[in-house]
Amino acid sequence: MNKEVVLQVKNLKTHFTTSKGTAKAVDGVDFTLHKGETLGIVGESGCGKSITSLSLLRLIPTPPGKIVEGEILLNNKDIVKMKEEELRKVRGNQISMIFQEPMTSLNPIIPVGEQIAETIRLHQRLPRKPAWQKAVDLLEMVGLPSPEKRAKQEPFQLSGGMRQRVMIAMALACTPEVLIADEPTTALDVTIQAQILELMKDLQKQIGMSIIFITHDLGVVSEVCDQVAVMYAGQIVEHRNAKDLFKTPLHPYTQGLLSSLPNIHENQQELQTIEGSVPSPYDYPVGCRFADRCPHAREICRAEAPDLLETNNAETKVRCFMHTEKWEVIEEKEELVCP
Amino acid sequence: MLLFIAKRLVQIIPVIFGVTLVVFLIMQMVPGDPAAILAGEGASQETIEQYREDLGLNRPVAEQYMSYVSNVFQGDLGNSLKNKQPVLDEILLRLPITMELAFYSILITIVLGLAAGIISAVKPYSIRDVSVMVVALLGISLPSFWLGLLLMYLFSVKLQWLPVAGWDGPLNIILPALTLGVGGAAIVARMTRSSMLDVIGQDYIRTARAKGLKEHFVIYKHALRNALIPVITVVGLQFGSLLGGTVLVESVFAINGLGRMIVDAIRTRDLPMVQGGVLVASLVFVFVNLLVDVLYRAVNKRIDLN
Ligand SMILES: Nc1ncnc2c1ncn2[C@@H]1O[C@H](COP(=O)(O)OP(=O)(O)O)[C@@H](O)[C@H]1O
Ligand code: SF4
Ligand SMILES: [Mg+2]
Repeated sequence: MNKEVVLQVKNLKTHFTTSKGTAKAVDGVDFTLHKGETLGIVGESGCGKSITSLSLLRLIPTPPGKIVEGEILLNNKDIVKMKEEELRKVRGNQISMIFQEPMTSLNPIIPVGEQIAETIRLHQRLPRKPAWQKAVDLLEMVGLPSPEKRAKQEPFQLSGGMRQRVMIAMALACTPEVLIADEPTTALDVTIQAQILELMKDLQKQIGMSIIFITHDLGVVSEVCDQVAVMYAGQIVEHRNAKDLFKTPLHPYTQGLLSSLPNIHENQQELQTIEGSVPSPYDYPVGCRFADRCPHAREICRAEAPDLLETNNAETKVRCFMHTEKWEVIEEKEELVCP
Repeated sequence: MLLFIAKRLVQIIPVIFGVTLVVFLIMQMVPGDPAAILAGEGASQETIEQYREDLGLNRPVAEQYMSYVSNVFQGDLGNSLKNKQPVLDEILLRLPITMELAFYSILITIVLGLAAGIISAVKPYSIRDVSVMVVALLGISLPSFWLGLLLMYLFSVKLQWLPVAGWDGPLNIILPALTLGVGGAAIVARMTRSSMLDVIGQDYIRTARAKGLKEHFVIYKHALRNALIPVITVVGLQFGSLLGGTVLVESVFAINGLGRMIVDAIRTRDLPMVQGGVLVASLVFVFVNLLVDVLYRAVNKRIDLN
């Protein structure tokens, strides 16, 4: 596969400086997003998924947050180094975002049509009337019933699902190259959730954009994503094709996440959960950040931090000593030391 | 909305009862006999009794009150004890002056308060923010009569830019309006700041930024309008204390408004004048609050009107 690269993130580090110290919420994230691809970012809550996505548009509240290192290359231009003016042309235009909470993410006292139309006026320099018409058309496209009437309403007059449709219409108003969706369906009930996912897939086909889909729900990932990046403690620990990841998870954390999924094929009696909790971003361990919870942890895991490395398959990246050549050697040695 | 307004108007009736009763009781309790004061120093006991008879002050207190209230509901506020003129005429003469003063004062409160609050909130904890808030704290702590005297001394006596007192030109309005408005401006500034900071932290502001809107659009279109909702209530309350302040400020600046009329009437124990003045001031306050509530509901459609 030699697809066109849209977005490339290199060694992204976003830290928060607070009275408690420095929280390394995002601590060296690398990934590449291709055109038309859907990349899922998964991981337990607090792993740094939202901060990663907000960093991409530099929406981190500063202070206390700051992108301290790294590059975010959008068509080879570094967003981290952009001036405000240039950055504003990217936001909502080339990259747009949908947030988890459709209740609070829309302005409560501005009609939803206007909230969409203002983006269109801004980026496409359309006058008021055509911009409004386009907003209504967009609302129709995302399947909002009687869009003409709804456009004039304020968010409190719409249900949660409708609001999320409005958010999607707003995000797609300027046909972005990249859509970032941070848990877009988490706050919705299951039926609405399925409808929204379906809608996003449809619109992606029409517009041909790339999507970064953030969720803690692996079930959703298997439905919509081509690629999956698993995040743990501010880093990516496994990045692979979605099918392979679900078939043969490589990282012990991914394995843990998958075994805690309800499985319809085997009649599992009990859901397994990963014991322990995510280490505090204020104080990560020196070695592998998963070591305290990992059933395979060895001495080296506590002494050294593994890198995110390609395995024999160049499409697959894992951050774990188990999948390096030295693991076999280590294993033998350790067995000698402690039988 | 109309139903809401109608309901609020009906609520004015108990307000009339309450206000008149409280003023009536207080005036009964303060020392000083109105008949004796009117009769003048050294008047004989008979003259005083005669006055008392004429004024109807020898009737039982409850009866006096009931007849007063029933007259009020017929639009009659009684006559002044001092000059026998209808109280209403005097009030109609003085109310516009006080309203003008109140209007400019509340204008200062709103404009100055909002500007300072926004300036602070846009860059919280900056030197600019801290200095604005220190000044606001001073503004809240200074008693208004003291501020009035200070302003008068500075601008009228020392610099001679503005007239000392009176009410006969636009320049006369500046100092009393400032004196009355500044305290409220400080309160509005603090409220605006905290409300703005709260709103700026909301998700929808992040959404507005994520759309690529210019920062001043984010602040003025998306943040400020939401932040103003609680500020409206504060301005309404501020209007009440501002009305109270006119009593002092009109006396300091020798303005013949309603406030000063009430002070003079209290001094001569002119009960109908005090009653009428306080009642009208209360009604103005009630109406302004109704206006504020209507405005609040218009801005914030989420509130169920009933
Ligand atoms: N405003 C903040 N101040 C300090 N730390 C923060 C702030 N926002 C997020 N963090 C830290 O960043 C970590 C990752 O948060 P987040 O990206 O929201 O996780 P999630 O994967 O659930 O989306 C959190 O554990 C928290 O410690
Ligand atoms: S590096 Fe070691 S501790 Fe970390 S996940 Fe791999 S085996 Fe487990
Ligand atoms: Mg999150």
